[in-house]
Amino acid sequence: MGAGAVAGFGLGLGGWHVGCSKRASAQGAATSAAEIAALLPECRPVQLVLPDIEAQQPLPNGYLKYPSPLVRAIADRPGRSGRTIKTMSPWWGPTPPGLGRNAFLDAVNTELGISVNPSVQDGNTFADKLSAMLGARDVPDVLAAPMWEIDKIPRFADAVKALFADLTEFLSGKAVRAFPMLATLPTVAWQYCVWGGRLAAVPFPRDNPFPWALFYRKDLTDRAGVGVPKTIDELYAFGKAMTDPARGVWAFGGIFDMIQMLFKCPGSKGGWRKRVGGGLEYKFETAEFRQALEFTSRLFKDGMVHPDLVASKGGDAMQLFHGGKIIAVQNGLGAWAGSQSEQSKVTAGYNIQPMPIFSALGGDPLAWGAQDPVFYTFIKKGLGKERTQEILRVLDWCAAPFGSTEYELNAYGVEGRHFTRAEDGSPVPTDLGRRELAGQYSFIGGRVPVIVATADVPHFVQDFFAYTTSTIRYLEQDLFEGIKIALPPNYSKTIIATEDKLNDVLRGRRPLSDLHQIVREWRNSGGDEGRAFLEKTLIRNGR
Amino acid sequence: MTTLTSPRLRASTPDRPAWEERPSLADRLVKTMVLGAVVLAVLFPMWSVLVTSLASRTTINAAGGMVVIPREIDLSAFATIFSGGQVTRALLVSAFVTVVGTAVSMVLTVLAAYGLSRPTSFGHRPILLYFLLTFLVYPGLVPSYLVVAGLGLKDSLWALIVPSAVSVFNLVVIRAFFMSIPADLIDAAYIDGAGEWRIMTRIVLPLSKAVLAVVALFYAVGYWNAYFNSVLYIDDNDKWPVQRLLQSYILAGQSPHVTGVPIALPGITAYPPTLAIKMAVVVVTVVPAVLVYPFVQRHFTKGVIVGAVKG
Amino acid sequence: MNRSLGARLNRDWPLLAMTAPAALLLLVFHYVPTLGNVIAFQDYNPFMGNSALDAFLHSDWIGLGNFETLFDDSAFWDAVRNTLSITLFQLVFFFPLPIILAILLSSVASAKLRSFVQSVSYLPHFFSWVLVITFFVQMLGGAGLLAQELRRHDLPMWDVMTNPSTFIILVTSEAVWKDVGWGTIIFLAALAGIDPSLYEAAAVDGAGRWRRLWHVTLPGIRSVAVLLLILRLGDGLSVGFEQYILQREAVGRQAAEVLDTYVYYQAIIPQQWGLGAAAGLFKAGIGLALILIANKIAHGLGEQGVYSSR
Repeated sequence: MGAGAVAGFGLGLGGWHVGCSKRASAQGAATSAAEIAALLPECRPVQLVLPDIEAQQPLPNGYLKYPSPLVRAIADRPGRSGRTIKTMSPWWGPTPPGLGRNAFLDAVNTELGISVNPSVQDGNTFADKLSAMLGARDVPDVLAAPMWEIDKIPRFADAVKALFADLTEFLSGKAVRAFPMLATLPTVAWQYCVWGGRLAAVPFPRDNPFPWALFYRKDLTDRAGVGVPKTIDELYAFGKAMTDPARGVWAFGGIFDMIQMLFKCPGSKGGWRKRVGGGLEYKFETAEFRQALEFTSRLFKDGMVHPDLVASKGGDAMQLFHGGKIIAVQNGLGAWAGSQSEQSKVTAGYNIQPMPIFSALGGDPLAWGAQDPVFYTFIKKGLGKERTQEILRVLDWCAAPFGSTEYELNAYGVEGRHFTRAEDGSPVPTDLGRRELAGQYSFIGGRVPVIVATADVPHFVQDFFAYTTSTIRYLEQDLFEGIKIALPPNYSKTIIATEDKLNDVLRGRRPLSDLHQIVREWRNSGGDEGRAFLEKTLIRNGR
Repeated sequence: MTTLTSPRLRASTPDRPAWEERPSLADRLVKTMVLGAVVLAVLFPMWSVLVTSLASRTTINAAGGMVVIPREIDLSAFATIFSGGQVTRALLVSAFVTVVGTAVSMVLTVLAAYGLSRPTSFGHRPILLYFLLTFLVYPGLVPSYLVVAGLGLKDSLWALIVPSAVSVFNLVVIRAFFMSIPADLIDAAYIDGAGEWRIMTRIVLPLSKAVLAVVALFYAVGYWNAYFNSVLYIDDNDKWPVQRLLQSYILAGQSPHVTGVPIALPGITAYPPTLAIKMAVVVVTVVPAVLVYPFVQRHFTKGVIVGAVKG
Repeated sequence: MNRSLGARLNRDWPLLAMTAPAALLLLVFHYVPTLGNVIAFQDYNPFMGNSALDAFLHSDWIGLGNFETLFDDSAFWDAVRNTLSITLFQLVFFFPLPIILAILLSSVASAKLRSFVQSVSYLPHFFSWVLVITFFVQMLGGAGLLAQELRRHDLPMWDVMTNPSTFIILVTSEAVWKDVGWGTIIFLAALAGIDPSLYEAAAVDGAGRWRRLWHVTLPGIRSVAVLLLILRLGDGLSVGFEQYILQREAVGRQAAEVLDTYVYYQAIIPQQWGLGAAAGLFKAGIGLALILIANKIAHGLGEQGVYSSR
């Protein structure tokens, strides 16, 4: 249509340059691994109950039964000043009643010896809330924010300097011994809590390093007599066999990330790896990515992806998966236990399992990994030393590990009110528990992650470790591990724009042969800038 | 005052006036078909929402999503929403904000619209321009936050009312209706010695009932649906309006998996949302709209000029 | 009006007093924070200096740099073009529908039927876009009712939900479904304001239904229609956000990127506030131009429009 004319108009306006004007210039920033290592708290693990499955970092320990008796981890009450602490943390679920109307808050506050007044924010609007608060410099005493929101904020090191307390003197090295539970948190998570040379947050560590798993409905594939794919061709055949539009069943939900992984596309910091002959290359530039793109576009073309998900972002993949309308879907391992527990009550024989990973190219598979924490907890700047220490003591209480009475109260509430016990002694939430608990204390303190058996999902712990221990062998080494990186905004922007174009290829709106041009545009509009920045970062870190 | 006494008493009964001919069969057929299609296009999805909100998980799973044919009446979705009193409380908050907000907005808007309805009045053009320009440029998130926080309105329900109390769109609409009132009516009142206040309350407002009802509806719906200001300005979970609270039921279990972050939330994880809960939320938010509309509608059907002014 | 300024002030002060509260409110909650849009000309760093205000005052001034970033990006112009096309398309195919429906409704003799249809047809306005699109997917998507029927009869598939070339029709249909009933409300109010004696007089003069429609009904609602049209044009670079975000992947950026989604991906997500503000000002400029043009045309047609220059 009028494309040419409008583009011409655009060029015309673009020509109105004012001589002195500059472009916005936020840059990437990186704190080197060595600088960070010097600031880290000493790690002093505490094991209150022996695990049944002792796993190597970064996998959590496993417990096949709920421990009894529990151990008291903290002797003194953390609160002394009597002044209310205002906190804010994200939550994905029904909003709980606030302080004064919530027995759970009362119970924990009594233990703490101080009144914590939480504001629970829904996860979806957290970004808006965060940018308004940061921009207006109006933050609560304690702020827990998701890592993925913090990562998006350019110049966050400046924000830390302007708004949040420098915790270095309280937590760095041996100082952390004053907060023994915070000292149990894994070092790898602390590495990401440094901005602009200061330790500024308490991490909430991940419970496993895998961003994605490909879940499938084992009950349905068994019934259909379809085996678990071990090669990429078998995966295609799996898709063909399980798709049955007449019955409203399609094999796949969104799975592009998993396919990339199966094709061994690199995954460090979104997809970087060292190039043979020096320098870095991004996944878009690799032959592996091209193959993954081609394969996935074939799945779309041959109608194996559920049309509801093709048609709208609002499509609910997990609902379709639960209903057996999708057979395989990618998700985080965190979705596993909840889905299995919930749906077993609805569908007899419901059984979901993560598909063991394989290499589409032959040889060993590759598993993407990530070690950055899920949430960061910040303390407001300028509260004074004593107050900051008091708040840290509260966070310390919240970080008490599994097996402690503190952990149980924090995670499940008061026995008899917020939970009852199953026969094996594990807590079962009551309605009141479901209503009143919303991570008010657990999200602000971090904790050493564990995997614990519950009566409603037998075998979960065994299945979890069977999958993770066999997958962890193939965990990709993160090139940038231990380096705190804020990517240049131009680079982040071009990733979004490029994914749009790749999406066109995926859905068959553009030919695969356009990939060359797409990559060229990506390089020119910020890709190369990102590469240069990351290469420099690696060199500075001697890697 | 001849124009005032002449308006015909239009019967308040809806029957066809004597002068109107009966429509032809074809006319009626087309009309019925169009309106029937409109009604069906809305009622069918509405039905599906209602049935899904009352369906069990088994039924929803079998349907693979929205349910059309009811198998049972399962009230657990509504029970979940209304248990514990948070939603009931939020309904009260929203009711307060809607009622008080609409009242405040109507007063401010009607006054300003009347003040701007006389093109020859002092400063008319620049003042009108001052209002209209708000259409074009919007303030950013942070500056608005600074103003509201600076006035001490954070965590106050007034923060949900005052910043959005004047909608210039509504103002301009009311003004247009005010200006369409025959000038000789107003001039006559002037000659009789009436002041602006008296003219507004005795002549202009009674003649504008329909548009006032509509704009009140616009405001009320705006306040009822408003969501974002509470994200910014209300930290206290007990002061959240109902739309915001209901969102949290819809969110349950969705994230953080959607962002690809593999965490199992410690301890009690929120029960994942069933589609039934999502649809129950829709029902809860739509019901007030169903209840309110007839009150507005009344003003469309009566002859509005009837008995407006006693000469 | 030859009276002196003082006399007019003396006469009109009650009008000014009536306008004052609303004007004051807008000053505080609209105009003051609108000053923050200066960041369009800055490399705004919200964390600069000792306070939030400091950050606004002391961020680097970069002149038109943010505008250049926008104007040099062909994707920006794609988005502008898409947005304007959708606006124009909807002006033709959506805007008249509420008027038609309102007239149709007001011609229904039975009050009960009328109020039933009215109150049903305005309900979709209260549905979220996610839900509206879910309905469309369930009807017209590849797994929807229509597709399953076609499949059953071995007919060729017809998937409008993922077809970029018909996307403009799809989004307009969705918008019509959601808001046509809502849109009739204001016209119903306008229709209620028409003096019934005009109809009677026309009928007595021998005017039939269509002539009465043409000579009484349409003139009666014309000024409101023109007003709404102008206001819609002023907002011509906004056509909605959520609706497009949700369907963007399905049909691709080429078809579904509108200005608001562009700003979301290029400025809001990467938190380039200056760029976002620049896009806002650009929008305002285009909106102003569109309003002025439309207003001129309205005056030419003998209508008040939204603002008269004399």
